[in-house]
This record gives sequence, C-alpha cells and structure tokens, in this order.
Amino acid sequence: MTRYVMVADINRCVGCQTCTAACKHTNATAPGVQWRKVLDFETGRFPNVHRAFIPVGCNHCLDAPCADVCPTTATQKRPDGIVTINYDTCIGCAYCIEACPYQARERVDIPNRAYGTRVQMKHEQRVEHLERRAVAQKCTFCVDRVDFGLANGLIPGIDPEATPACVNACIADALSFGDIEDENSNVAELLRSHEYFRMHEELDIGSGFYYLWTPRK
Amino acid sequence: MTHEAHRPPEKKKVHTYCYQCVAGPDLLDVQVEDDTATQIQPNFEAADVSPVGGKVCVKAYGLIQKMYNPHRILSPMKRTNPTKGRDENPDFIPISWDEALDTIAEKIKEIKASGGVDDSGYPRIAASFGGGGTSTYYMGTFPAFLKAIAPIDFGFGSGQGVKCYHSEHLYGEYWHRAFIVAPDTPNCDYILSFGMNIEASGGVCGVKRHADARDRGIKRVQIEPHLSQTGATSAEWVPIRPKTDPAFMFALLNVLLHEQRENLDLPFLKSRTGSPYLVAPNGFFLRDPKTDKPLVYDLKTGQAVPFDTVDTDLALEGHFVVSGSERGADQDRWEHQDIKVTTAFEHLLEHIKPYTPLWASRVCDIDNKIIRRIALEFLQHARIGETTVIDGRTLPLRPVAVVLGKTVNNGWGGYQCCWARTLLACLVGGLEVPGGTLGTTVRLNRPASDRNLSVHPSADGFMDYPLNPTDEEHWLARPDVRNANRTLVPLVANSPWSQALGPTHLAWMQQVKGPDNWPQATPPDLWFVYRTNPAISFWDTNHVVKTMATFPFTVCFAYTADETNHMADILLPDCTDLEGLQLIRLGGTKFIEQFWDVQGFALRQPVAEPQGDSRDFTWITTELAKRSGLLESYNEALNHGAVGISLKSDIYDHSLDITKEHTVEAIWEAVCQSASAEMSAGKEHQGLDYYRKNGYRFIPFERIKWYLTPTMEDLGLRYEMPYQEQLTRVGTQLGRRLHSRGISWWDEQLEEYHALPDMMDFPGIWEQALERNFKINIDDYPFWLITSRSMQYAWGGNASIQIIHEVSKNIRTHGGLVMNTDRAHELGLEDGDRVEIRSPLSATRGIVVTRQGIRPDTVMLMGQFDHWATPFARDFAMPSMNSLVPMLLDLTDSSGSGADLARVSISKLRGEA
Repeated sequence: MTRYVMVADINRCVGCQTCTAACKHTNATAPGVQWRKVLDFETGRFPNVHRAFIPVGCNHCLDAPCADVCPTTATQKRPDGIVTINYDTCIGCAYCIEACPYQARERVDIPNRAYGTRVQMKHEQRVEHLERRAVAQKCTFCVDRVDFGLANGLIPGIDPEATPACVNACIADALSFGDIEDENSNVAELLRSHEYFRMHEELDIGSGFYYLWTPRK
Repeated sequence: MTHEAHRPPEKKKVHTYCYQCVAGPDLLDVQVEDDTATQIQPNFEAADVSPVGGKVCVKAYGLIQKMYNPHRILSPMKRTNPTKGRDENPDFIPISWDEALDTIAEKIKEIKASGGVDDSGYPRIAASFGGGGTSTYYMGTFPAFLKAIAPIDFGFGSGQGVKCYHSEHLYGEYWHRAFIVAPDTPNCDYILSFGMNIEASGGVCGVKRHADARDRGIKRVQIEPHLSQTGATSAEWVPIRPKTDPAFMFALLNVLLHEQRENLDLPFLKSRTGSPYLVAPNGFFLRDPKTDKPLVYDLKTGQAVPFDTVDTDLALEGHFVVSGSERGADQDRWEHQDIKVTTAFEHLLEHIKPYTPLWASRVCDIDNKIIRRIALEFLQHARIGETTVIDGRTLPLRPVAVVLGKTVNNGWGGYQCCWARTLLACLVGGLEVPGGTLGTTVRLNRPASDRNLSVHPSADGFMDYPLNPTDEEHWLARPDVRNANRTLVPLVANSPWSQALGPTHLAWMQQVKGPDNWPQATPPDLWFVYRTNPAISFWDTNHVVKTMATFPFTVCFAYTADETNHMADILLPDCTDLEGLQLIRLGGTKFIEQFWDVQGFALRQPVAEPQGDSRDFTWITTELAKRSGLLESYNEALNHGAVGISLKSDIYDHSLDITKEHTVEAIWEAVCQSASAEMSAGKEHQGLDYYRKNGYRFIPFERIKWYLTPTMEDLGLRYEMPYQEQLTRVGTQLGRRLHSRGISWWDEQLEEYHALPDMMDFPGIWEQALERNFKINIDDYPFWLITSRSMQYAWGGNASIQIIHEVSKNIRTHGGLVMNTDRAHELGLEDGDRVEIRSPLSATRGIVVTRQGIRPDTVMLMGQFDHWATPFARDFAMPSMNSLVPMLLDLTDSSGSGADLARVSISKLRGEA
C-alpha cells in the first residue's frame, strides 16, 4: 500500500511563507484563502519564550472527520491517503469545515480577484476555478501533480513534477512529501532520523502530517 | 463557443532571475500560458549549480501580480500642478514617450552645457537608487548613460547609511575585505548573532544554509531585544537592552583575554595580526629608522626587529627597552632612544581589563553568568589547532563565528562592535578560515568579482586599503557631492559605491540648513529616482518629503504612484521584472550568504508582452542618450563594460559601433557574446538565443576562494588587528584639516579615531542627544523603539502587491506595534488596541500586537510602511518608525552612519477600538 504524507521540520522552518505563496500560485486560490500556510507561535513568558513557525493545512487523515460528516460523499479518501473533494457533488453545507480539527477547510464565495471584485488581472482570468465557488475547498496535496507524476513514471516527493508545490518551493527544505509505507522513502527516513509528533494525536484519526522538531539524530 | 475557446493553452516555461533583494540573485522559472504569466516556480534545471537547488523566496511570488497590477503606471506622465507637496495633487497627465524623453534630454543638454556642476561645486544631476545596489540588475544599460552624463550626485540616500550595515561595510572591507560578514555556516558549529536577522534577510541561501546547519546540530545564540525569526530558530535567545551590544562583546573579550589567554590561538595572533607590533609613546607604531617598518620584539634574539624578519619568536606581551622612530600625523616624527615600550596586544589587555561580565551585565541587563558562559562556549567550540582540507590545501578549522545585525553594526557603537567581532575571530584564529567568520564580497575595493584579487600588501605588512587621503596636499577639502563622503569619511574609499556609504542624511539635512563653513547646499537641477522611495524609507520622512518637493525637476521610473514620485515632474513606466531584458553576473561569493561553487551570467528576459506602453529600460536609456546628444559616449561606456562586462578584450571583440543607435536586442546580443567569450577564454561566443533558452551559463568557482586565508598566507600578510594605528593617523589629520577651516561640527565623530575603540554609554548618546535637541525629559519617552526586517517585504518595493501583503500577515509581528504583553497590560493595553506612538520628533498611530518575545522596555515596528500615496499599501494603516526618527548630527558616527533607534511614549487612543 501507499500512503502519502507531509513532513514539516519545524527546526528548519523560518516562517517565510514561500510555501504559502507557491500554493496560491499553483492552485490559484482566492485572496485570503491559504491551503498551505505557516503559523507564528509563541509559548512561555518573557524572558523564557519560544517562538516557532508551524506549517499547517489539511492533514489528509486516515479516519477523516470531514469525510464522516459529508452528506453527499463529496469528500472521499483515496487508497493512497489523499482526501479529495468532488466539487460537483459538494453542496457547500460546511459540515466538514466544522468537523475538521485542523481548521483546514474553507468555503469561498468570492472570486479570485486580488485587487477587489471590479478588477480581474490578466492571469486571474485564466485560472478562475469557478468550480470551487460556494463549495468546500482545502489542500489537495497537489493531487493532480501526484497523478501526473505517477502516470509518467515519476516519484511523488522526489521528482518536482510529481510533488506538491509547497514542497518544491520550500527554501529551508522544511517540507517533504512521500510514501510513508515505503521504508526506503524520503519521509520514512526523516521520521527514523528525527523526533516527531502529529497534531491532535489524541483524536486518533491518523493524521498524515508529521512534524519533526529536533536536529538529525 | 468558437474553436479558439476550446484550444488548450500553449504552455511554456521561461527562465529568468529574481534580484529584488541583496540576498539574491536566484534563478527561477515562470510558467506562461498563451502569453500570460501564471506561476512562479523554482528552476529545478539549475538545481545542481545553484547553492539553493534553483529555488526562490516568497518575494519572487509577487512578480506576476506586479506585472498585472491594475495600479501600474502604463504610459509616460507629466505633472501639471507646478506646486509640489504631500497635500498637492500632482495632476499627472499621460504624454507620449517622445515628449517625455525630449523634455528630459533638453534638461540634460542644458546641464551638460553648463559643465554639470553648480556654484557650490555639486553635481547638477543627482540620482537615487534603492535595494542596496540591486536596482542595477533591473536598469539595463542605464549605468552606461550615467557614465555619459557624469558627474552625478548619488548621495541623496533612501536608506543607505541609516538602514544598512554601514560600519560593517567600511570596517569589514578595511580589515578583511568583507563588505558583508557571514559565518562559514556549512562548516560552523557555534554562531553568536547580535541582532543579525539572517532568517529574514539572508534570502534563499541564508535560510537554506542555516536550516541545514540546524539539522546537524549547530548552536546559534541570538542576542537581541526582540525575538525575531532568527531568534525563534536559534538555540538560545538573549534579550539584551538595545544598543548595549558593545558592552556584551567587550565582556566576551575580557573573559577570553583575562581568563583564557593561554587557550587562545597565539600562533595566529603572532603571525597573522598586528598584535606583536610595538607601540611608541605617542600611540603610533615604533618603527625601524632605516626602513620605516613597524618593529616587533624577537624573544629569540632579545631585540626589536622589523615585523617581516624571518625566524623569530615574537613577543605578544611584556615591556621592552628599545630604540626606534615614530611617525604620527602629517609631518609629526619622533626619534626614541632606549625607551620602554610594549606591544599592541599588551595595550589591548589593558584596554579591555575593566569590562568584566559583571560590569556588562549591568549595562546589558543580562546575567553575568550568561555572558561568561557564552564566552567559554565560543572558545570551546573553536577547536583551536584543528585543520581541514579545502580544494587540496590544508587550512585551519575554526567552527565559530560572530555576526552583527543592523543597528548593532551601524551608528554609534558600530565601530566597537565591528572591531570586537573581528577581534573575537582573531583571538581564536577564526578569521577567514573554514568554519569561521568570513567576508562575502567587496564593493569599495576592486575588483569586485573576486575579493582575493583585491588584496595587496601595505608597507606595514597589512592589506593595503584605498583610504581617502587626509593629508594637507591631497585631502578633498571641497566636497564633490552633497553628503561629502570623501571629505569626511576616509574609510569610504573612492569606488562607485562610496557615495552611498557616506553620511547620506547629511545631503537631506543640509538642504534646510547647512553646517558652518561648508559649501552652500543646493538642490539638484535634475533628480533621477528608480526603485526607491525615500519619502517613506529614510528618517524624519516629513522633512525628506518637504525637501524633495523643493527639487525643481524630478524624473521617476515609476511602477505605481508612490510617495516619492508624488513629487515627480516626469514619470517613466519601465518594464517590470518579468518584462525586461538584461544579462547579469552571478555566482562566486556575494552578500549576504551567497556562496556559490560556480560563477557566470544569467539572463532576465520578457516572459510575456509588456503591459501598456511600458518600455524596456535599455530602450529608454538608448533613446535618452541619443536625444541628449550623448550616443557616442554612451556606446563607449557600454563597450568599456558599464553593464558588467567589457565588450572587447584581448581575446574577443563584440564591441558596438559607437556612432550608431543599437536596438535592445543588439546590445544584449553583444553582452551575451562577450560573456560567453570571457567564460570560455575566447573559444565560444553564444549570444542572446543561448541565454534565452538556457537562462544562464556558469564556470567553476573554487571553494578555496571563499576564504581569504590562502591569499594572506601566500602574501605573508597580517590582519590590521587589534591596534588601529593607521586610522588614528588619518583621523588626527582629518581633524587638523577640518579645524583649519573652522569646522568643529565633526569633532565628536573625530573622537572615534582611537587605536583601541573607547567604550561609551551608547544608549546615553541617544538619550542625551534627544534631550539636547528637543528640550525634552527622556523619561517621558520610556520605550526604545526598534525595527526588524520583513522577509516578505525587505528591499522588494512590493508593498502594493496583494499576495505579499496577504502571506506576510501570517507573521504576527507585521500587525502593528509589537509590545511586551505584560508591559502592555500594566499600561491598560490589550492586543488590538489603537495607540499613539510619540517620539520627540513626531507621532504616528498603530495597533498594539502583544508578544512575550520582546523586552518590556522596548517596542518594535517591522519594515518600512506608512504609505500615503502608494495604491493598496496606503490602506494598511501600518505605522513606521521612519517618521519618528530624527536626523541629527549628534547621532552620526565617524563612518557617517546612524542606527535605527528612537525613544517613544505609547498612549491609548481613547474612543477607538
């Protein structure tokens, strides 16, 4: 079996938001919509303070709460672990948005016009994505790139054409993508060589988003 | 639907580069669909040659919106309201390119006919460019035109001097050819970073190198008043009181020199520094009367010998009775017989003795145990005595480095910090060696392409440096530009970059009231502005805006309306980053942490048709040259390498016919062919088509050139540390020159010319200057206001780009005035409250962002905002420190720089959420 997961190394991440911007380019999301973004966290009290940058987005859970609540089965789990939304069958009820413990889903009713609804820039005209209007949307793990790569003999997470845009763009090499079931994969090696955690582990929903937080062992 | 509507889009990738900030350039691809740019992507084809795998940072992802921004100026414009000012509508109207270019050309002809210099001796043409020199990589052939219309005053700063690593630039080049100083991060194990926000300002190279280092377990200690991105990703944050870094660093020196002396790299100090040089009674080196060479004391023979005597055992410490001569300032000479002298190192020991960790702890508000521990950690990690092999040559390995950030390495205290940083490296033998503290590039010395080649011996055994002369005969008594860089700052040298490294605020300050016994300040008759916005990016912005409103004729290359081109007479819409054509050099070693294993050239090319009637910068330039009657001198400048490579050499000739007007493509074809020829030793001559297809071409750059040590060893040279004999001499002479002309307003700056930097109450300098100049009680302004770099905005000129604004908001400190949470609560303030921020100079407003990661006595405003004319950005309501910081001579150091620092009060705006 194959299970694609995301690995974010918070010892590497500097919060530059290059992944955020690259995702917006590749997926042409509307203003304010960020399928991938990096949060700016602080813990502790002066002078004993820690600040960390945490990439977030859809965790592509094994037991995805968003899929459980979907009344139209628009949200589906693929055998390779990627959680998808069928925009044609989604009715925009937003149950999934409420159910997601990672706040990774949004419903967007506005067009993708960065400078206000009256102005549509030339490149925005080419990538309107009307199918996403008034339905749920979220990170897809760039599933079209993954599928394109698999169809062309490429390895997701290794070959850029088969890899999510955020991973390709990450200047700190903090983001990695790959098949956790393959013990020789890049992500399996990273998890072996670093301490890691998953957010909301207590929910036992099989998050597919791992966080490394130490130097290499 | 038509068949056309169903046609699949024609997709292609176009190679280009991003050089929006000084941490670039980086290679990238643009995906284009049917002549529309749709995506920025890494250039993975360059993954093997680029030190960052062909990736670009977040700023590049704003370039498509920059191209299609609906607020762009898309045709030449002229002002119709002759009255200039912030509150005046310029009433710009569109005009033809012919009218715009002819109007400018007429002005240039008129200026050239008058000799180009006004009655005060200042150039009648001025030009201001932004981005720390990166604007050059977007202005096509404009540098050739600038040569043709010289002289030009480049001294109206837009941030240079007050917002750069100013003292580091000057002293860094002076001591080790380091315009920028960087750790050898890939080989380093321990970094002391005094406010250097590398994770926000280091670009892709900086981020990647440090992320790799963290993964292998490097320890970086971040010493700064607020917890920046770099502090966040460091092993330890030390929240130091603002502007007390010199005290912390002197205490580190104290521990090393007075508690760990026997563990230092004594061989390095003896052979590679001026530590053993004997110092005569008047403070200058004791010299051999016959050769004038500085003397050292040889323990083997028990006598003083010239520094370059072979087979010696030099004394670092001790007092010796010897004879010799002493050469002071100007014609001052002393002959000494049997006098008791000691070494520069012994003077250093005495100088640093009072600055114990306990003393520094009170100054810095940091526990003395932390300071001592850090000093010992630094020493322990230095691995003194170990070596490594680079490109087949054995070099010392010293995996410890010290880096300094802005406000630490400029303004008062900058000299002390730069000196202490360089000295810390010397004490452990870690200067310019693998793992240690390195320079990246040179800008004041030449050639700029390889700093090793800029190293030449001085008569005293150090690196020679092109100091501006201060002797009576050669001193430039009458400034040749308004910021007087060569007159006042010997260290600024005389390169094309020197003007930008003078006291640039002096040019703005003088426009209202010049100092005594100084040429009358004059506005330039013609001012060119490109990729810079001093109306918001300098200090005392209200004053700068009023001053530029008095300039009679301003030409701005304009992308959108902004606060500076609000005062323009002509706006010229040049092609933006993705629309223009240009070949640039890249690779080798460049600031900030650009260390490449290749060097060569990369092309910026149009990815799609330019928007509106914007024109390629080279087209604009050639037209200006032709219409100004300067085509031949412009072409000559092109042939001589004004755009980065000579078009003719001993091994190739692609020079242009100087009598003809050449197209944009013809010019860059010749440049591309010359680049190919240079890289292939004249064997190959690929032109524009090759670079359009491939994007770049490289040849190897040996890694050993990252380090200066091999050159220093081969030439047998020493670093001019710790004792600044030469600077003492030139400073003394400068003082005499100025005083002989009745000038005493530079006296405080002259006091910095001491052989060993004096410790001062640096915060007190600010406090007292503000009290003196504004007649205030400093206690009424209880907070230090500091600033911090924004990764998303820094140098980008991209405040009007929506995607940049959107993603930057994920970094909470972009939200407003960053303030310690508990301190805010003490004042009855909550996160999100609107407050007035008042300095002795001015006041502004903003929203409180409460954070634990900032000292209670400090507040912080990121970046440079406060826009009032730039579309989109003017709606941010994001305050800037720039309107609050005064330009004061009192706060200008001898290098001509000031530091981003203010004192403010904070008060809640009642009745507002």
